[in-house]
Amino acid sequence: MGCSTSSPAKSNGSFDERGASDSKTMRIKLVLLGDSGVGKSCIVLRFVRGQFDPSSKVTVGASFLSQTIALQDSTTVKFEIWDTAGQERYASLAPLYYRGAGAAVVVYDITSPESFQKAQYWVKELQKFGSPDIVMALVGNKSDLHASRKVTVEEAQEYADSNGMFFIETSAKTADNINQLFEEIGKRLPRPATTQKS
Amino acid sequence: MRESDPSDKELNSENNDLQTENPGSQDVSFAYQQTFDAKQADDGPCSLPSHLSEKELDNNGSSTCDNGVNIESADAQREATGLTTFEFPVPEEGPQTYVKKVKSELEGASDGNQTEYNSDGIEEPDPGDTNANAEHRECSPRVANAQFNSQDKSDPKGNEILEQRDTVVNRSLTAFSSTCNIEPVESSIIRVQSAVENGNMEGHRPYADSEGKIASLSAVDGVAASSNGRESFEEIEVVDSGLVKNGGLLKRDLFLEKQHQSEDDSSESWRKHKKHFFILSHAGKPIYSRYGDEHKLAGFAATLQAIMSFVENGGDRINYVRSGDHQVVFLVKGPVYLVSISSTNEPLRVLRRQLDLLHGQLLLILTRSLEKCFVKNANFDLRPLLGGTENVFSSLIHSFSWNFASFLSSYTCLPLSHTARQAAGAALQDIADKNLLFALLLSDSKVISLVGAQKASLHPDDIFLLSNFVSSSESFRNTESFSPICLPKYNSMTFLYAYIRYLDPDICLILITKNSDAFFHLKDCRARIEGFLMETHVLRDISNSVARGGLRVEELPGGDVSYTSAPRSRRMGDTKDSTITVKLKAGVGGTAGLWHFIYRCVYLDQYVASEFSSPLETPQAKKRLFRAYQSLYASIHGAPTGAHQMQYRRDGNFVLLAWSTSDFEFLAAFDPLAEKSSSITVCNRVCQWVRDMENDLFFIGGSPFNW
Repeated sequence: MGCSTSSPAKSNGSFDERGASDSKTMRIKLVLLGDSGVGKSCIVLRFVRGQFDPSSKVTVGASFLSQTIALQDSTTVKFEIWDTAGQERYASLAPLYYRGAGAAVVVYDITSPESFQKAQYWVKELQKFGSPDIVMALVGNKSDLHASRKVTVEEAQEYADSNGMFFIETSAKTADNINQLFEEIGKRLPRPATTQKS
Repeated sequence: MRESDPSDKELNSENNDLQTENPGSQDVSFAYQQTFDAKQADDGPCSLPSHLSEKELDNNGSSTCDNGVNIESADAQREATGLTTFEFPVPEEGPQTYVKKVKSELEGASDGNQTEYNSDGIEEPDPGDTNANAEHRECSPRVANAQFNSQDKSDPKGNEILEQRDTVVNRSLTAFSSTCNIEPVESSIIRVQSAVENGNMEGHRPYADSEGKIASLSAVDGVAASSNGRESFEEIEVVDSGLVKNGGLLKRDLFLEKQHQSEDDSSESWRKHKKHFFILSHAGKPIYSRYGDEHKLAGFAATLQAIMSFVENGGDRINYVRSGDHQVVFLVKGPVYLVSISSTNEPLRVLRRQLDLLHGQLLLILTRSLEKCFVKNANFDLRPLLGGTENVFSSLIHSFSWNFASFLSSYTCLPLSHTARQAAGAALQDIADKNLLFALLLSDSKVISLVGAQKASLHPDDIFLLSNFVSSSESFRNTESFSPICLPKYNSMTFLYAYIRYLDPDICLILITKNSDAFFHLKDCRARIEGFLMETHVLRDISNSVARGGLRVEELPGGDVSYTSAPRSRRMGDTKDSTITVKLKAGVGGTAGLWHFIYRCVYLDQYVASEFSSPLETPQAKKRLFRAYQSLYASIHGAPTGAHQMQYRRDGNFVLLAWSTSDFEFLAAFDPLAEKSSSITVCNRVCQWVRDMENDLFFIGGSPFNW
């Protein structure tokens, strides 16, 4: 294996090559981006291991995890997930992780307008430097903290619409919408042979 | 013997440091200014503080120059010539506040070539050259304040001299704190002492050999004589009073800032911490503080910066300030300033090394390219770039009081049977290819095995900093990670990429590459290594070793049990132990009251230390021993020629024994009642035993870093 296998542009190619043997399985590189502390690692751990650890641990560099899900159309998608560190010092290294990614999840914290700003920065960055057909999701995390919400659903939805992303609010703590997030991404991924949703 | 010990030691360690620092001296080149050099040129080699025996110390009345400022311009030649040290009186306005009285010291000092004056006396360090003297005075105002124009006149002269002696690249200037006497009568006694003389008086043997030294010695005598002359006396006095004022200011600022903090921060406690570390930018922006919120400490950081840049503007570098029990140590690394303030009484050399490691940790996270940020914008705020790394730094600082690697500059290995270690090495070897720079298998900070690409060698300090970085970052524990890191001793400019994966909770595999795309390749490598280690049960052996813990002195041969899976040497057990074993059984610890030991293999850059057991189990006891080792180690390295090869010290807590040879260094702690002869016997045996067990205790790969 190698990074290249999961790059969407190339991966379409490689999927085609392998398509004959395994058209129903897709491998996709997914990257999570967002400000530090918005809960990227928590989303991933909830998705991959079904765990939630309230004691937050700062991610260093990037963690790699993978998880396979089956979609309703009987396709299976293997996500190779890069959970990046949100710290500023890694910003310049982000291309390392989103290069060739087929899907990007840009996360913000609904209680933090700054993190929403940062999310918009990442969206722009991905539009400029990411793969052209990357599937992008805008995720407002910590929806369980709606009492202290600072970023409205409308605001985020509008931004997502205008940038061709889909929007969802999740809570890694309560597991709310976590699986839906990844399933939706799976559905929107370009299909190897013919069917292209989204 | 004038000088009471602490300062002596300091000087000593200072010397040492300088030597080690020399290679990097260009870093601080901006700090050199020619004005300084001149006067010192003729001194030639200088001060060498000697090690005073504890007895001597006691006689002197222990508390010594407690307040002082040490300023140094880095100097390439220093190594060759020895340290030239000048001291300036930095009396305080309110001596009572911080200073311990040292009356006895004064008294004792006067007979030892030291000249003392009541109320601001100074001793001219440089007899032969009046210009140099002028120079000397000239710098003192800088230290505290640039008020004395009259002195500045001497500058040109100094410069000329300097040019004449261009061989002398640089010199260090040490302004020492004069000790203020709190005795009622002599409340304003200030003792100024030139380190130059110090060294000479002490008659440090190793140094006496050098010609320059001898020359300076005679020069010093001249000084002592001349200093009695009225003229020089008065001139100096002026300087002195200025210093008094400024010195007081300096000190007060430090403390006021702290108080200020406490107001802000609810922290009476903040000031009570025994050891503070600060990193700040040359513009005075706080980058890291061990305690307290950096933002709230902005004022304090600015004060530190003001002190440092003030001295720097004069072409010098401030080394340290002593005030009462506190030592303030400064380190300048390009645009980054590091400061520690401590009351732990650790040797200066040790504190400087700690700052150095702190800087190394900063580089490991950001590389030296962080300096570019400051070039672009001097006001750059580095804090955001360090987000989430507090743990890394605090764990590093914590390790300064438990991890021997922090002062030994060596790494230690997990004890493992030779075959298991070879198998682990083979597993790492197996995946070595052009993508891989280093592969390490670690258990916490202990090395299980490592390999490196040809010609690439991994410095023990890099291992130390890397293992600290990895073990203090929780996020590595659960997932595979790929993180940019910099190995400052390998190449401080570039990022490398580390694939990090815990094979089990105690065993961490780190694969380092230059290739940022190599993650999936390294992931495969990891799978192969893991598979191999599982198959060969090496993983299990390693876990067992981790569970078993390190060496225990009770289990050393000579006692009843021996540690090991390999054939052990019986030599320790057999001969003439009747007396020794009796003691062993009577007390806790090992043979002949052996409580603990460290054996450092010089050519492998590795050490092995026993676990802290029975009488040393409490955190206080551990820390006490740790600190005692630190200063012991500093003292065997204090003299440039490796003077103190064997030391035997006894105090109320333990007997310490240090033994340094070209092959190994050995430090041991014994029961305070242990007999000298038997403890020496035991040391010999332990050393022999360690050598016999070398294959299990050390990582020996021929040349360890090649494949």
